[in-house]
Amino acid sequence: MKPSVELYEGSRIALSSLRANPLRTILTVAAVGIGVATLLAIISIIQGLNASFAHQLESLGTATLNISRTPQISMGPTWWMYRNRKQLTVPQMQAIAAQSRYAAFVVPELNEESKDISSREQTASGVDVTGTLGDFQRVGGYEVAKGRFITDADSDNERFVIVLGSQVAEALFPDRNPVGESVRIDHRPYRVVGVLAPKGNLLGQSLDLVAFVPFKSFLGVYGKRDFNIDVALEDPKNLDKAEDEITGILRRVRNVPPDKPDDFSIFRAEQLADVYKGLTGALYGVAVAVGIITLIVGGIGIMNIMLVSVRERTREIGVRRALGARRRTIVVQFLLEASTVSALGGVLGTAVGLGLAKLVSAVTSVSAAVQPLTVVAGVGFAALVGLVFGIWPAARAAQLDPVEALRHE
Amino acid sequence: MLIQLDNIRRYYKVGEEEVHALDGVSISIEKGEWTSIIGQSGSGKSTLMNVLGCLDTPTSGRYILNGNDVSGMSDNALADIRNREIGFIFQTFQLLPRETAQANVELPLVYRGLRARERHERAAAALEKVGLSNRVHHRPNELSGGQRQRVAIARALVTEPSLLLADEPTGNLDSATGEEIIRLFEQLHAAGHTLVLVTHEPSIAARCPRAVRLMDGKVVSDGPGAQVALESRAERARAAAAAVAP
Repeated sequence: MKPSVELYEGSRIALSSLRANPLRTILTVAAVGIGVATLLAIISIIQGLNASFAHQLESLGTATLNISRTPQISMGPTWWMYRNRKQLTVPQMQAIAAQSRYAAFVVPELNEESKDISSREQTASGVDVTGTLGDFQRVGGYEVAKGRFITDADSDNERFVIVLGSQVAEALFPDRNPVGESVRIDHRPYRVVGVLAPKGNLLGQSLDLVAFVPFKSFLGVYGKRDFNIDVALEDPKNLDKAEDEITGILRRVRNVPPDKPDDFSIFRAEQLADVYKGLTGALYGVAVAVGIITLIVGGIGIMNIMLVSVRERTREIGVRRALGARRRTIVVQFLLEASTVSALGGVLGTAVGLGLAKLVSAVTSVSAAVQPLTVVAGVGFAALVGLVFGIWPAARAAQLDPVEALRHE
Repeated sequence: MLIQLDNIRRYYKVGEEEVHALDGVSISIEKGEWTSIIGQSGSGKSTLMNVLGCLDTPTSGRYILNGNDVSGMSDNALADIRNREIGFIFQTFQLLPRETAQANVELPLVYRGLRARERHERAAAALEKVGLSNRVHHRPNELSGGQRQRVAIARALVTEPSLLLADEPTGNLDSATGEEIIRLFEQLHAAGHTLVLVTHEPSIAARCPRAVRLMDGKVVSDGPGAQVALESRAERARAAAAAVAP
């Protein structure tokens, strides 16, 4: 018998047998469908999260080195290891700007976290206020929606001017243009000179609940605090070289003896991606494992049903063998039956899974990314489950002795 | 010579005991012959039928069917031989319940790999030959016992096999319907088909030109059907008398 005929006849027999037991077919299809739906929803949500994280990371500026006294992210060793490190200074920053060949912009960043900013009527809480220079706009990739960004002249003249993040501007001045208005931080007045365009979220934190003031003005008020130095590179490919170069410059100007480790830390946005992957990777692994286990449960359901089906149709198998069906033909028939059920489950599960992903996107802030390949993989994987779990029952059917099978009641 | 059985043995292990279902059977059957195989239950006639039908392989001995030595053939080769050379007719008809008469008759042609059109034509012709042209689209449960056996006979005929092998074909039928089926066999014999009919009924063996009687896995007589049937009746009477004797 030709394989094409075998496939055609096998599918015909499989469909007719599935039609003969509608309830059983529906239940088995549902079992596989639930597995596929779970897996697909999880994968779509994961892909969505990854895509949005990658996008957010880009907005941070990947071609940036962030130099600080203590590490930005520390896993394990704690603050006491760094407590004797000296503060970074403006002359050190100027040395980097003067000597580095890879740096495009070098700016200071003096952060005051979670401040209250008030207009006459409203207060915005939890605002991240940064004292910096004009080039920070390029380093951080900020766009100005209204007015202007702060300038180096603002800093040199210690002007108390401020640029508001979109969320802050919205909270303080919901009904009018903030530019030219006055706001207060810790009772000190600042004049609004600009409003930024929205940037969105990073790991669930708003990037728009921010404000920028001139560096020297800020240093005058919060001067004892550490500040960081941001270095934006001409070319992102030079990240490693730039890190080496800047490490050399800083060791020199900070007089670090050759046998001592660095007394400062350099951070890259890339590292954030590693942290993100470390935190979420295990979670994803568990979620995908749950999906796969669900699918395996569905597969065992198929195996069970196929074993019942083989038992019920033992005589039919005997008749087919007596009339000239080879063992392989019987195997193909039952494998087709099993994979048809599971592929149906795959189609159903894909529809439900995509629906779930869409629902999650609609209800939560997570945007699920549904890729065509995921759908193909979902249906294909389901059919594969049917094949794998159908092999044993099909082999049992084919191994039946025709004489015994014909005698079976 | 269509069939040549040469000292066929078929031994089974049943627990510790070895059962000699066939114990050195040698028979030859010519093309166009109508032979019945008669014997009590346990005589080995079902095993002989399974060996003849290539459903079972003998423990030892040689079986030549239509020029092919099938004794040592692979499972696949035997499946092809069954499809080409043998038409089975079973006591319980063995039709597929969900398929129509037409589809049941087409089934062996599916395994032969024929195209749908040719299958339809040949199945229709076979159903006509057994007088069921008006029941083509009925399923087995919509047919009477006699009609079901006719469908089964059409299914056996449709491949134009060299041997029709019937196992107690009237066993599940009332006597009038059984008689119709026997008449159909007479017609098939007259048309030149080779028939082997397995039965335990002397009255059916008596209708066949030739009968082979088996007992304990051995051939005890081989001759004209009427004569072997008589022997078989006498043997039964002796066995019955022995059973009631003190």
